[in-house]
Amino acid sequence: MRIAFAGNPNSGKTTMYNALTGRSEKVGNWGGVTVGSKEYHIKKEYTGDREVIAVDLPGAYSMSPFTPEEGITSEYVRTANPDAIVNIVDASNLSRSLFFTTQLLELGIPVVVALNKSDITSKEETEIDADKLAEKLNCPVYKTVSIEDKNNGLKEMIEKAISLAGTMQKAPYMQADIDLHDKNAVDAEDRKRYDFVNKIVAEVEKRKVLSAETTKHDKIDAVLTNPIAGILVFALVMWFVFWVSQAWLGPMIADWLVGYIESFQGWVAGQLENSPAIVSALLADGIVGGVGAVVGFLPLVMVMYFLIALLEDCGYMARVSAVMDPIFKRVGLSGKSVIPVVIGTGCGIPAIMACRTIRDERERRATTMLTTFIPCGAKIPVIALFAGAFFAGASWVSTLSYFFGLVLIFLGALLIKAITGYKYRKSFFIMELPKWKTPSLKFAFRSMMERARAYIIKAATIILVCNTVVQVMQTFDWHFHVVEEGAESTSILASIATPFAVLLIPLGFGVWQLAAAAITGFIAKENVVGTLAVVYGLTAFIDVDELEMVGGANTVAMTMGLTSVTALAYLFFNLYTPPCFAAIGAMNSEMKSKGWLWGAIGLQLSTGYTVAFLINQFGTLFTEGHFAAGFVPGLIAVACFVVAIVLIGKRVRAHFDEQYDLHRKLKKTEGATA
Amino acid sequence: MTLLEAETGKTYKVKEIATDDEDMNAFLFRLGCYEGEPITVVSKKKNSCIAVIKDGRYNLDKMLSDAIVIE
Repeated sequence: MRIAFAGNPNSGKTTMYNALTGRSEKVGNWGGVTVGSKEYHIKKEYTGDREVIAVDLPGAYSMSPFTPEEGITSEYVRTANPDAIVNIVDASNLSRSLFFTTQLLELGIPVVVALNKSDITSKEETEIDADKLAEKLNCPVYKTVSIEDKNNGLKEMIEKAISLAGTMQKAPYMQADIDLHDKNAVDAEDRKRYDFVNKIVAEVEKRKVLSAETTKHDKIDAVLTNPIAGILVFALVMWFVFWVSQAWLGPMIADWLVGYIESFQGWVAGQLENSPAIVSALLADGIVGGVGAVVGFLPLVMVMYFLIALLEDCGYMARVSAVMDPIFKRVGLSGKSVIPVVIGTGCGIPAIMACRTIRDERERRATTMLTTFIPCGAKIPVIALFAGAFFAGASWVSTLSYFFGLVLIFLGALLIKAITGYKYRKSFFIMELPKWKTPSLKFAFRSMMERARAYIIKAATIILVCNTVVQVMQTFDWHFHVVEEGAESTSILASIATPFAVLLIPLGFGVWQLAAAAITGFIAKENVVGTLAVVYGLTAFIDVDELEMVGGANTVAMTMGLTSVTALAYLFFNLYTPPCFAAIGAMNSEMKSKGWLWGAIGLQLSTGYTVAFLINQFGTLFTEGHFAAGFVPGLIAVACFVVAIVLIGKRVRAHFDEQYDLHRKLKKTEGATA
Repeated sequence: MTLLEAETGKTYKVKEIATDDEDMNAFLFRLGCYEGEPITVVSKKKNSCIAVIKDGRYNLDKMLSDAIVIE
């Protein structure tokens, strides 16, 4: 049996779904967190041992979709024939929610209404007569509070939904038989529906505090959406998140953890003392060392996820979106593009999927293309490694990485705007500002543990395999002989990576080890750290006692043979080249256009290359008084990017004019006849 | 007058929605923002405002605020 969860955005569908199924799908206090449908079986304690699948759907205001993710919901309830629908209604916004409810009631599928967030209405002393509402709608209504563990009303509600499956309800309001192509008739009909809803609300709801009254929350919102103060606050908040996770609390916990990893590695090496050197190298250095190097950075990532979860839960994201809208609009994006960017600090894949809430196709694709310039959680180990090894753990490295990512998003957006021949088009912005809520530490903790679990699984699977492969490829040459000391460049890995390394000479890091690490980074960005650990035989990058690298930062720096300029170039190259393959896959499915996908990959590759090239060449010029090796070939490469962009722009615009110039065909035919 | 000219805290009636974008008009309708319905601006800036429509608060940019005519 399948039960679909449908309702307005931010009414708490996913929170209820998580409570009923025990999953921890992403929740947040703004409309549009869920952008695809998800299903899982409801816990037996709720269903009395029956197999019932809950289907969580994106929020929708009505059956006629406005944004792509709304379409998923109307499509599902129309065509997938769920056995029952739980309509989650935000009790604090009854008047708007019931419009959709009356539409759902017409589908011929039994509906149970869950008056969710009942705790908020009782706090505001709004009284809703649930029995009367049930009578008016001719369907069962239950008051629910999904965030409570007990007395939440969920069991009764879901039992009712199960028992109703297969039955019919008489819809309280039926759309009249009108011509659906006649706009005026449809409008008039919708108006009648709203009148019907308004009448019900007037009868069942008693409000003590009127919504239109200005509250202290409005004063906070006025500041947070102020173009100057609001942006300052946002910058401060984000800086605080990065500082706590990557310069203060995160590294503090990491130090402690790395101690254990090191002793484990020592223990493994001890156990392998009598086995062949090759086995101990593979296990102790390759597997434990490489994976350990990645896991060592887990605390930084966890602290960050925890703080971002708090931000997402309190309701701040919608305000950020509102305050950033004018700036983003100027470069051809919208305020809605901010949400993917913030989510992108955690992981690029949900960030790319979050772009679905952007209505305009061009804005949506552009955001999909650019959002991964913000370093994701998997890039944190890379940043932390380089900050520690080359910049004495300076916190400005991480701040600069994020800030520069944002700058690249703006520049990229301007470029896309120019290429696509973006003409003046009305781009409206409307964002619901949800009620503020004290962020739940429990939810933030759960969300953090969920992400940490995924991180560890990734380290134990993909990264483990990659490290093993890298270790093997480095140990053997093509004849499967063990590579002798001093002849490392004959290894399989070296011979594969060397051609790529040549391309990187203008960027200042044209050695096969670094090229190999950058390449494995496309499988998962943590691999950059893992591979570096393996190829240079460096393990456990963060020291137990101090915020410095094991054996001093200089050991790492010396081994890699990078200067601080080339190190920064290499770091930025890894941060701003295309994301991992999984994220590229997500881009592919969101963009639904091969042209845009290749455009995105091309743009990201050339951005990473150009940024690294400029840093290396001008950094070297500044520190040593001359350009670095490969200046001319690099310049030619960058010039090629520019030419390619200009050509693509020309082609796109020509096509654009063709599409919009309705008279052209006419002119052509006139010319032909004359 | 339009939304940005409204006095904050005072409830007006929507007179006309003129976005020139049918889908946008329909979307506003579903939020409860259509002719004859009450609307209150709780705070406004030069290029945007926060308005109460039914029981929800929304941030609207200048282009949209200018398209909502109130009385």
